[in-house]
Amino acid sequence: MLSPSQDRRADEKLGQILGRVGSVRTRLNSLALQHAIFYTLAIAIACGAAVFAGAFLLPPLVFLLGTSALVIIGCAGLASAVGAGWRMRASAVRAAAIADDRAGLKGRLSTIVALANHQTRGPLWSYLVEDTLGYQEQFAAARIERRRVSRAIYPLAGAIVLAALALPVSKIKRAPQIAAGSGQDDLTVDLDDLHLRPADPGDESGMQVTADAATMRRLEDKLASENAAGGEPGGNSLNQLVNRARDMAGHLQSKLTGQQTASKQRLNLRLADAGGDQGQNEIHRAPEQKNRHSDTAGQFKRDQPNSGHEVNLPNEDDLRQPDSQPSPDVNGEPGAEANSGKDNPGNQDNSATDRASQQNGDNGSSGGAAHGIGADPDSLFGAPEASKLGSEGFEIAIEARPIDHGAKGVGHAYVPPKVRTRLSPSQEPDEPVARAAVPAEDQSTIKRVFER
Amino acid sequence: MSDVQAETPTVADFARTFRRIQAEIHKVIIGHEQAVEELLSALFASGHVLIEGVPGTGKTTLVKTLGLALNLSFNRIQFTVDLMPADITGTRVILSGEDGRREFTFQPGPVFCHILLGDEINRATPKTQSALLEAMAELQVTVSGTTYRLKPPYFVMATLNPIEMEGTYPLPEAQLDRFLFKVRLNYPDEGELTRIISSTTGPEEAGIEAVFHATEAPERIEALKRLVREVMAAPAMETYAARLVRATQPQNSRFVAAEARAVHDEMVNRYVAFGSSPRGAQALILGAKVRALLDGRANIAREDIERVAVAALAHRIMLNYAALSDGIDATQIVERVIKSVRAAKV
Repeated sequence: MLSPSQDRRADEKLGQILGRVGSVRTRLNSLALQHAIFYTLAIAIACGAAVFAGAFLLPPLVFLLGTSALVIIGCAGLASAVGAGWRMRASAVRAAAIADDRAGLKGRLSTIVALANHQTRGPLWSYLVEDTLGYQEQFAAARIERRRVSRAIYPLAGAIVLAALALPVSKIKRAPQIAAGSGQDDLTVDLDDLHLRPADPGDESGMQVTADAATMRRLEDKLASENAAGGEPGGNSLNQLVNRARDMAGHLQSKLTGQQTASKQRLNLRLADAGGDQGQNEIHRAPEQKNRHSDTAGQFKRDQPNSGHEVNLPNEDDLRQPDSQPSPDVNGEPGAEANSGKDNPGNQDNSATDRASQQNGDNGSSGGAAHGIGADPDSLFGAPEASKLGSEGFEIAIEARPIDHGAKGVGHAYVPPKVRTRLSPSQEPDEPVARAAVPAEDQSTIKRVFER
Repeated sequence: MSDVQAETPTVADFARTFRRIQAEIHKVIIGHEQAVEELLSALFASGHVLIEGVPGTGKTTLVKTLGLALNLSFNRIQFTVDLMPADITGTRVILSGEDGRREFTFQPGPVFCHILLGDEINRATPKTQSALLEAMAELQVTVSGTTYRLKPPYFVMATLNPIEMEGTYPLPEAQLDRFLFKVRLNYPDEGELTRIISSTTGPEEAGIEAVFHATEAPERIEALKRLVREVMAAPAMETYAARLVRATQPQNSRFVAAEARAVHDEMVNRYVAFGSSPRGAQALILGAKVRALLDGRANIAREDIERVAVAALAHRIMLNYAALSDGIDATQIVERVIKSVRAAKV
């Protein structure tokens, strides 16, 4: 029978042993927690980096599929990492068992921890405590588990490296875009393979197509025929789904790549007359703040196909022809310019009238082809011409639809400012022609006619 | 009694005494270190031993030497077909007293001793074999309605001859189960055989010195047996022993852990007819406790259990004919079970 002092001493020794086991347990649990956290961060960072890089490198549909797969794998990995960390946690008994195994104590610590709270410990209990305390250096926390930081730090470091590698990829991919965007505000390209199709209802591409009435009518006919010949209904719905997915992926990519402002830029597509001066389709990219038609962009009015299409001039610089003179006294007649401009392209008077009507720019003269540029449907639907601007290898697919602002009454044509410049010294202001004297023989004739 | 308690042996005393008895036995028995250790382990674990070995391997000599070393009373019974139960337990005989009166007097059989050697126990009939059951399990003998207590320590060692099986009666499972360990005595190797020849054919016989005095031997041995019982077993070790035993049972072998990490041992299901009984688990823990004391510990470890597993479980496993045809013995089954349970981290 042990005396009270012996009991107290045995309890102190037992406390020392349990304290060391507790420190072992703390270290093991710390490692388990680190394991869960590090792996969670590693998975999150790696997946984020992969998605970020994929936004730059992959086409929208592949990006969407890849991102979905990554999200699934990432979620599974997160669950696995948290579960592994949870399983690695150590109770006092488990910490003692681990210490027994690693220190070769043959179950001494496990027995002490398991029986420490028992009321009857037996005569060999003090021997066991004493014997175990003799090995206290062997089951110090630093010897049982040398690591203070979990090995999961390596996957985390790898994920960080991966993320660091993704940044240069984004910069490499973004630099040409920035250079292109900053180099020129208005982009004019040859559209060799122009493909037009109806836009999706939710499309917010901000693209407008402007052309003369005849061109727009032919464009509508083509779109209608494509819709009709689009194949089976199932195929259409599948195409719509694919288009929606692609749009969603593109939207996500734009957000990830920081090109959200660029995507909101207005893209005005003007279908030019093949016989005109320009002879090509012009794409003007105008900033958002200059656009006052964003609410009606992308809407298509089928019920009024022949109504006057609004002249949607993208930039006033385009309209300031250096050889055009302002003619404030001449008013354009709406609706007449389109036919005159197309049917008589060589008529100088009509051309002058068209230019004058452009310069006047009032709403009444905002017919679809009133700008006089006109459009040649053959150049749109016919065989593509060779590139004239040296843009070999450049190909763009445009998803667009015609828009009619004038019919809705909410969209307004671009009204160019009235520019009044001073005449040069060699010029004289316009004056009425002086009435000439009528010959005498003619005067009698005129008089006779009026009397009749 | 108080003197005995005052002389409660320590862990070091146990190990020292054990090694000394071992040394005395090995003065006569050459080799068989593991068999001797298991024999003494069974003695201090309050069990009995079944010794299996071919003739001439020193089974009887081993038992006699043990009796001499412990300085305990020793009897030997040669089991034959015509041996009757009364020849073992004793019988009532009519004796004439000093006054000439004749009365029935109980004449104790050879079972009344401290160490009993049942030589070739499988040659006796099952009825005679079962006469030992009560003595082995309950340390008592009942003759003609009268129960006679046996004096502790009581240690039965039975030998089996694995050859010459004609005319033998295999021990019933109930009796096999009462032996704590089954010890195998194999042929000695060349070096051991050389030493046997030189030590047994010379003029001098090896002198065995008794470890205990005759008067104190029973008490000392009982004290050591009590010390074995005081060795602590963590619940995890008891669970491990229980899972080992369940893993030997075909109906339970695949549900050892009762969890997803269950052990599925096809070998057990294919070759074992009946697995170990709960006495097997008791034998594992008791044998492990002796091993722990010998290692200077007051607690058992997994290694202790595994060390005694073959001796404790092999004779409790009944193999089927498939095992016989494939040459599988119970030792292989136990070793396989240990690996399976250990691999399952249970």
